[in-house]
Amino acid sequence: MWDWYYAFEVLPEIASALGVTIGATVVGFILALILGLIWTLLIRSKNKIVTTVADSIVKFIRNTPLLVQLYFIFYVFPQFGLSLDPFTAGVIGLGLHYSTYLSEVFRSGIESVGPGQWEVATALNFTTKKTWTRIILPQAIPPVLPVIGNYFITMFKETPLLSAITLVEILQTAQNIGAGTFRYTEPLTIVGLLFLLLSYPASIALRQLENRVTARYS
Amino acid sequence: MSEPIVKYNNVTKYFDDLMVLDGIDFEIQPGEKVALVGPSGSGKTTFARLLMTLEEITDGTIEVAGDYLWHEKDENGDLKPASTDHLRKVRSNIGMVFQHFHLFPHMTVLENIIEAPVTVKGVDKKEAIKDGKEMLDKVGLLDKADNYPAQLSGGQKQRVAIARALVMKPKVLIFDEPTSALDPELIGEVLDVIKDIAEEGETSMLLITHEMDFAREVADRIAFFDAGKIVEDGPPSEILYHPKSPRLKEFLERFMSTQASPE
Repeated sequence: MWDWYYAFEVLPEIASALGVTIGATVVGFILALILGLIWTLLIRSKNKIVTTVADSIVKFIRNTPLLVQLYFIFYVFPQFGLSLDPFTAGVIGLGLHYSTYLSEVFRSGIESVGPGQWEVATALNFTTKKTWTRIILPQAIPPVLPVIGNYFITMFKETPLLSAITLVEILQTAQNIGAGTFRYTEPLTIVGLLFLLLSYPASIALRQLENRVTARYS
Repeated sequence: MSEPIVKYNNVTKYFDDLMVLDGIDFEIQPGEKVALVGPSGSGKTTFARLLMTLEEITDGTIEVAGDYLWHEKDENGDLKPASTDHLRKVRSNIGMVFQHFHLFPHMTVLENIIEAPVTVKGVDKKEAIKDGKEMLDKVGLLDKADNYPAQLSGGQKQRVAIARALVMKPKVLIFDEPTSALDPELIGEVLDVIKDIAEEGETSMLLITHEMDFAREVADRIAFFDAGKIVEDGPPSEILYHPKSPRLKEFLERFMSTQASPE
């Protein structure tokens, strides 16, 4: 049933694809953070049109499946002259999709900063930009760091979806091996274990971060 | 008499349909300390918040150090709403101390104080630290420089907030009920600091307060607000001991009786 020799034989190949998985997670998440903050700021704009448009886009993306979005970016965009390689398309899809969740997280963090902080920033004559960077965000972000970290782990575990748009990450690699040898048990188990190996310690680290944040902000 | 540092010209403020300020004219002289008293909802806080640009003016104009605060002149010399740059320039003359302090919780006491000079005015950091420590010494909290606000008592927080406002060297400093959020035993230390600043004399002050003894001691003038108007305005001796209007008489009577009640 389980062949150790075979398992060790295919392990290096699968592990070598881990770079793609981690790369897609990290780049996708950075994109999600930046876009998420931009959504939040746009939705908070004083301009009603900007607010409505940004809010609609965010709701639309959040309420449609990631897989559909990935297909759209990879297979439909080329018809409009925008051909993307699987990695780029995947990263954009992940980043865009998760940015809508992170936007909500940022919003709750920002709203947890009281109106007094805005008023005192005005009284001390801060520019809008400095108010955000020096006063509001440094208070809004730390309390929501655990939630942000959670999304990072969730996103990491969703990267196998990118195999659907032909990105050869670890799941796709395992599948290719299985297709060649007709033995799926070992490669797929290894994929599962690799995810566990990375996300479990990450979630423990996150729990510790959460404890520290709670200790400091309550 | 020199030019007033602050001049309200027929200032009106509405919140939606509710009129809060009803065509107020008012002047503050350089170095003058003015206490604003009156029942809650009488408009005194809104009056001060307009000066700090925390509320938008509905009608009329406010001049600060000879410049319009909420307006600027266009090429024809007509008034138009102030640009952000103009607003920031004129606003730099005004400072404010809030009822609930609003210290920056993510910064130490010293960082709280040097933040605005460095970030807003571009003061050299070493210079700002030197000034900041001097100011902390003045409010008696130099030993708390490296503490975080959460580690301070309410009275200490308010003294830091006062130091933070003062390092920006405003020409006019607004105190919005600076002791209302404090436990009774902590009020004295804050009032003492405010008195010290008042005695130095350079800064004009606008004091919104319910502490009548304090108003009498510190203020050159008391303005009594009622229903969006300044009903009476004069030296403390007159306002507190020889009120003319029935509304002020009533206010003072009610005030004295609540003060006297033991509770």
